[in-house]
Amino acid sequence: MSTFAVIARREIRLALRNRSALITAFIFSIWFPVMSALGIAAGAEGDAAAVTAGITTITLPVAVFLGYLFCADAFLREKRDGTIETLLCAPVSLQRLWEGKAAGVTVPAYVMMLLSAAVSVAAISGLTGVSIAAEPLLILHFVAVVPIWIGASAGLIGAAQLALGMRENQILGFVFIFGFIFLIVLFQQIVPAESGISAATEAVLAAVGLALLALARFIAGKVTKERIVRTIP
Amino acid sequence: MGVNAVEVRGLSRSFDGRDILRDVSFTVGHGEIFGYLGPNGAGKTTTIRILLGLLAPGAGEVRVLGRDLAADDDARARVGVLFENNGLADRMSAAGNLAYYAGLYGVEDPAERIDELLALVDLADRRDDPVGTFSTGMKRKLGIARAILHRPEVVFFDEPSSGLDPGAQRMVRDLIVELSRREEMTVFLNSHHLDEVQRICSTVAILAEGRIRAFDSVANLTRASGRPAVTLSLAGPGDRACEVVGNLPYVTECDADGDHLRCTLADPGATPDLVAALVGAGFRIEEVRRSSRSLEEIYLEHVGQAEGGA
Repeated sequence: MSTFAVIARREIRLALRNRSALITAFIFSIWFPVMSALGIAAGAEGDAAAVTAGITTITLPVAVFLGYLFCADAFLREKRDGTIETLLCAPVSLQRLWEGKAAGVTVPAYVMMLLSAAVSVAAISGLTGVSIAAEPLLILHFVAVVPIWIGASAGLIGAAQLALGMRENQILGFVFIFGFIFLIVLFQQIVPAESGISAATEAVLAAVGLALLALARFIAGKVTKERIVRTIP
Repeated sequence: MGVNAVEVRGLSRSFDGRDILRDVSFTVGHGEIFGYLGPNGAGKTTTIRILLGLLAPGAGEVRVLGRDLAADDDARARVGVLFENNGLADRMSAAGNLAYYAGLYGVEDPAERIDELLALVDLADRRDDPVGTFSTGMKRKLGIARAILHRPEVVFFDEPSSGLDPGAQRMVRDLIVELSRREEMTVFLNSHHLDEVQRICSTVAILAEGRIRAFDSVANLTRASGRPAVTLSLAGPGDRACEVVGNLPYVTECDADGDHLRCTLADPGATPDLVAALVGAGFRIEEVRRSSRSLEEIYLEHVGQAEGGA
């Protein structure tokens, strides 16, 4: 098994044993879509296309938040406990370590996001009576765009958590979340979505997600072991 | 193997304008148990971090197994390390933690090796329990197993006895000696437990105020450092004995404690003359021992000098 898979698998296992993160993720995955469904149901007025667009809109903030939530365990805890120092002595590059951890965070966050999407669909369908069809763009959104955004979120936050001290990390946690959400809203305003999910919107969101993922990889490549060790509390 | 296991030449490093290490040089031979001593903040952990490639040297050169670990993944696979935090995930089982590192280091037959090590550190019956439920001593034992899982040629222990009760300290000490013998490893022991170092290390370096103050074998340091001394057990109180021998030209210091007399000599060959002088004065002598100074005395002397000169 490659070191990437070894690291990713361990992070998935740790996430599944992190009761507090799972409970928080579960509550957020239920609460956020239910609250959003009320707004979508009121605005869509029974229009199936608008309902679908509403669902895709709320999934990305959920995805970003879940990526952030599981990052705290994979990157920040490792640094706070000092165990990252032992990992840095292993015959694994820092880049590979970051990739494995980001991938390991993405999996549980994605599973929780799917749960959240299912709750959204059920809540909106229940409130509006509109049945949501599994159209190809919607499937593409959940299969490609959402995991890319979770990966980008986890990767960027993880790289920052490795590079920054504890106090800066607290501040930047909030900045990242609101920054991501702002970006999502911004792009959905810029791209003409008309009255439903569109290929253009999905293409732009996927492109931005990939760009953020590449940015995260670039930043992670610039972080040095010295920087990490010197910011261990 | 022509090169030393660890080589440090002219190493200096400063943080935020403060010199932490200044022209530090020493070597550790293959198979040695090397003790790196110094007070808190002396720069011991910084040295280890530089050797492991976690920090860059400011000046000088470091090599482990002839390689620079900062730039060499293959060389890092031949080195083990135990920091104070043990490097374990509390939510994973003992076996799960070891399996993770076995995967990172590419250990062959990991299941067999994990079973072997868990048995060695007496944790076989706890293999599937989360590490978070372990005592500090058990975590340290598991941390040692993790550090040597991949059969490293050199292993760094950073304060392995820190935070342990005396029983656990002894257990860890015995384990390090046993493992170094059994696995034929070079051990770099970073510690300020002087008794521990004196018991298990063959060579030591004393670091204070960022400089190496002494570097030699424990035997040489305790024997050669300072002046020769003898301890005599008398058949009776020794208070008056100091009055008798205190004026002898070859006795520079005399302390009596009950029926024990400790004399520091200007000449190491003067012991028979000292015994003769005491017998001549009517003292009966039960035992004569050449006393060497403890590592603690030597350490305190060097650290005290460094602090006095700083």
